[in-house]
Amino acid sequence: MSSQPTPPAEPHDPSHPASTGAGRGPGATAPTASAEPDRTAEPVLSLEELTRVHGTGAAEVHALRGINLDVHPGELVAVMGPSGSGKSTLLTIAGGLDLPTSGRVVVEGTDLTTASRKDIAALRRRSIGYVFQDYNLIPALTAAENVALPRELDGVGSRRARREALVALEEFGLEQLADRFPDEMSGGQQQRVAIARALVGDRRLVLADEPTGALDSETGDAVLALLRSRCDAGAAGILVTHEPRFAAWADRVVFLRDGSVVDMTLRSSAESLLAGGAAQ
Amino acid sequence: MTGRARSGVPGVGRLHAWRAAIRIARRDAVRFKGRSLLVLAMIALPIMGVSAADVTIRSSQLTAAEKATREFGTADARLSDAGQGPQPVYQEPTGEGVVPVQENAGKKGLTRTVTVTGDDGSTTTVSSGESDPVDPLVALPAGARSLSDASTYAPVRTKYGLLDVDIRELKAVDPLAAGITELDRGRFPAAQDEMAATNGFLKSSGLHVGSRVTVRGLDRSYRIVGAYDLPSELDAEQLNALPGAFIAPYEAVRGEAEGIMEPSKPTYLVSVAGDFTWDMVKQANTLGVEVDSRAVRLHPPARADVPIYRTGFGRSSLVYDGGDVRAKAIAAGVTIGGLSMLEICLLAGPAFAVGARRSRRQLGLVGANGGDRRHIRAIVLSSGLVVGAAAAVVGTLLGVAVTVLLRGTLERYVGQRFGGLTLRPMELAGVGGLAVLTGVLAAVVPAIGASRQSVLASLTGRRGVRRANRMLPIVGVFFLVLGVTVVFYATMHNDSSYTAALGAALAELGLVMMTSAIVGAFGRLGRWLPLAPRLALRDAVRNRGRTAPAVAAVLAAVAGSVAVATYAASQAQEDRQSYTAELPRGEVAIGGYGEEAGDLGPLRAAVQKNYPVTGRVDVSRLYVGPASCTRQVGAPGCGRVDLVMPPANRCPSDGPTGAARLTVAQREALVHDWRCIGPGHPSAIPMDDGVLVGGPAVLHVLGVRDGAAEQALARGEAVLFNRAYDEHGTLKLMVIADVTKEPQDGSEPTGPVKTLAVHLAPAQEPYGVTAVVPPQAAASLGLRTTPLGSYYTTSQMPSGAQRQALNSDVAKIGTRATVYLERGYVGDDNLILLALTLFAGVVTIGAAGIATGLAQTDAEPDLRTLAALGAAGRVRRTLSGFQCAVVAAMGVVLGSVAGVLPAIALRRSDLHQRWATYHRAIDMGWGVMGEPRVPVVVPWGTLVMLVVAVPLGAGLLAALVTRSRPELGRRAEG
Repeated sequence: MSSQPTPPAEPHDPSHPASTGAGRGPGATAPTASAEPDRTAEPVLSLEELTRVHGTGAAEVHALRGINLDVHPGELVAVMGPSGSGKSTLLTIAGGLDLPTSGRVVVEGTDLTTASRKDIAALRRRSIGYVFQDYNLIPALTAAENVALPRELDGVGSRRARREALVALEEFGLEQLADRFPDEMSGGQQQRVAIARALVGDRRLVLADEPTGALDSETGDAVLALLRSRCDAGAAGILVTHEPRFAAWADRVVFLRDGSVVDMTLRSSAESLLAGGAAQ
Repeated sequence: MTGRARSGVPGVGRLHAWRAAIRIARRDAVRFKGRSLLVLAMIALPIMGVSAADVTIRSSQLTAAEKATREFGTADARLSDAGQGPQPVYQEPTGEGVVPVQENAGKKGLTRTVTVTGDDGSTTTVSSGESDPVDPLVALPAGARSLSDASTYAPVRTKYGLLDVDIRELKAVDPLAAGITELDRGRFPAAQDEMAATNGFLKSSGLHVGSRVTVRGLDRSYRIVGAYDLPSELDAEQLNALPGAFIAPYEAVRGEAEGIMEPSKPTYLVSVAGDFTWDMVKQANTLGVEVDSRAVRLHPPARADVPIYRTGFGRSSLVYDGGDVRAKAIAAGVTIGGLSMLEICLLAGPAFAVGARRSRRQLGLVGANGGDRRHIRAIVLSSGLVVGAAAAVVGTLLGVAVTVLLRGTLERYVGQRFGGLTLRPMELAGVGGLAVLTGVLAAVVPAIGASRQSVLASLTGRRGVRRANRMLPIVGVFFLVLGVTVVFYATMHNDSSYTAALGAALAELGLVMMTSAIVGAFGRLGRWLPLAPRLALRDAVRNRGRTAPAVAAVLAAVAGSVAVATYAASQAQEDRQSYTAELPRGEVAIGGYGEEAGDLGPLRAAVQKNYPVTGRVDVSRLYVGPASCTRQVGAPGCGRVDLVMPPANRCPSDGPTGAARLTVAQREALVHDWRCIGPGHPSAIPMDDGVLVGGPAVLHVLGVRDGAAEQALARGEAVLFNRAYDEHGTLKLMVIADVTKEPQDGSEPTGPVKTLAVHLAPAQEPYGVTAVVPPQAAASLGLRTTPLGSYYTTSQMPSGAQRQALNSDVAKIGTRATVYLERGYVGDDNLILLALTLFAGVVTIGAAGIATGLAQTDAEPDLRTLAALGAAGRVRRTLSGFQCAVVAAMGVVLGSVAGVLPAIALRRSDLHQRWATYHRAIDMGWGVMGEPRVPVVVPWGTLVMLVVAVPLGAGLLAALVTRSRPELGRRAEG
């Protein structure tokens, strides 16, 4: 398990995830060549010339400047960069929580910049899953109910939504948490339930904003291993992080500074470099 | 994982989304118990009241069978004299209306005559105008059992005086009477000198079981051996005696004393084999007997089988149409209910807004997971739904429980025993539905507000600028203008105060809508305020979205209270102005006319013993006839003395055709004509035509300081206080020999006229006295006098204790003679005003408190920053105190203005109506009345209480209950 990639442009964290070997951590599910994303398929998320300007006049801030990014099925893209570089803005626009000043955002063939507010909400119910740093779960609902929520909001009957939620929790190995309320779960458990919710039904795009930020490194690895495994199973994901150690789980790492992409590294090329093979 | 599978039917899908929303709301309601309980209590309390009222009203409505049992026990029917003499009658099935079969069948032949004995021993026979009595037992079916039930009214001596009481002779222990009475303690009478009393009688007489009861005019007494109730009239004052124990001896005595005495007619409870059928009722009717039958009540005959409906009675019988009253009652109920709901919504709304604000992140998460505005609205609305439904259940159950637990008290309050506990599920469900509706309505505005928040702002906890709705104030201005126009129209043109009230309500609604705009205007005052209140005011103005509902709630409550207070204060002022004293202040009068004159001696002793009297003036009256006429007023052979007014001095509009002969202009001119100014004062002592017999001292006690008049009286001349009776220095008195022989056709009575020299005094009928005749003048005319009463002057106003002592002594005398102390105008105590002020105060503090809680939630980050900068803990307290006071102050100021104006409008409308009535009275020639006066009084005391004390109290309270330390961590957001 020494094939873990290393993002070249950042100082490398020497502690390798593989060495943790925690539960379903990277030791068990570390990405391999067999999990190569299918870049010929239609991208799940496509950002074209994305620009976002906050405020006007003297208070004008360019959060994003002409970003282009495609995320394909099976692909996990890590977004890194210093504070204020536009990472979170990118994620909120990709999820339709915010609209760009210019450019296009296409999720599963739907252009969010022209879609109605209702359609975007529906897209969030059916296609896009969010995982935030903490407090992801609705405290009034159990784990199963949290996972079932997007389906119920979509008009699926509560029994059927619950059945689907239980299936999802089981796939993630979380079935024992089904009837617990968020305040009866650990932070790591909450994050894993949040990922289960992000991918319930046929949602294929998971947007994770520092999902491990509030966790210790061991738990963080377990959460990322789960995310990685879901991408390997065909989902597409964006992971915002400033920990290179976690970015190493991604297929690609995008570096942002002052709203622009300053570097983009493919895992395969990094692997190739490490393995001495040709870059893609 | 399954594919994209939405529910096929969109409505069903929406329902599923609602279920999720309700689940979140339900769990949140449990998580935030304090807030939920507060709103629940706000909604459940009125619901409890309404459902308790519903159960009480429904339970006190008796079934026909229950009613029959209470009226005639286990008997099948009650037989009574139909009152038409021994001739066939028709009756309504329930015996309410009775007519003789032969209309006008020579009532003469059937009416009774009464023989009276005159003073000189001669006897005359007069018609009593009553039909001959019929013994109901003539209609008793063969083999039936009967029980007599008779009653009469008699004056019973009580601890406090005389009480006219229904004394009923009914053998209450007879099985036939079971159910009519309920024995409470003791037993029913078993001997001729025993009685049982209702609890109502015992309460108002001050007597108790074991006391002896005496009746005025009857020289025997009865011992009270038990207390009972009449289930349908719990406060009835009744005494129960054995048949023959009271009525017969009492009537014998009264008959002797008064000459004419209508004997009471007993009724009979009857038990027959089987039912007392409608055919049997009709049979009894042929004998002039009326029947109230249980069987007929339970199964009324078809209308065609009731002969009375085929007579003129049936055709002309007017069914009382309560439609108008009912409509008004419903309108009033809907208005009060609607305003209460608005008030609760305004109060509970901010609580839901606090909830939505506190769970912003949760709502943001729902948004991030695909919840659109509809879903967010559903969650916040569900919180209203959940609390409303809980309030419905709690309120209704409590209402029913309260009714069950307080059944005895409620029965006393309503005045009758319930038939049984009657629960109408549909009505209770309707009442509960109101609670749900209120909860949902209260959550509407917060729901819309929460759904408009951007998901991103909710997630990041960024405080966006919350703009108030811009349309609402515009609609508010429209309503305000419309309302004011309606009020103006009503006060100028319309006779109905309902229109004025409607306009006031519209204007108030408009003000409520405009509140957010007005709150903005208050912000300008900020620059003159010190730091803490300035911060509070600016904060309130910047966050109008949360300030406005609280201010509106205060406004609505205060406006209502102030409007009622203003109206009540004005009404009290009007009452004070229109109060007419019967004597100079502090004076006492006793008067005994006729039979009561015999009590004057002991009365005088009682007054002199108990009151600080400084002088006494006795007065007499003139009487005509033998000496017995001093006691038996109005008896045959007794006459009267009338003052004669010269025809030239009569008001031209007086008399049956007077007004019709005059033009409207002439009638208007007569308003200020001295001949037409009616009697000004009522008199403390009852007297004939305002004539008193007495000396110069009478003038003093009437407050007349007139040397010439005193000299005239001393000379033996009468003094006249109304120049209409003056005929060239003389007063004419007509002596009517026998009042029972006066013409009945409206023509004026005639008799010998006596002339008396008179001095005309300038005072206009002081305290109801038209003329004072000196005794020697009366004697010279051959008129006899008899003591009428006394006037007393006092050194100071008798105290409450002295008044009670005198009342007690008067009660012991057991007289109906007049005892009057002039205390001047004594207003009702302002309990209602106080209650309204308190209510407005409580609502104000509640609403301001909720708004403060909301402001504190909003300001939490700022306060944390302040605390981090080293601000003392009391800054939190000071700020929250001022936030509360600012909301309360804005609400009470606006509310006071909004309350005083409609009250003034209502008074103006009253004035307009009175003038309309006044002009109509003149136009139609109904007589002459004083010009209307409707004062408007602003209740400054109440206003100062509300405007100064309430905000101050609210602010202090908020400062006291605010924690001075900030909450730690952000987990509190949930």
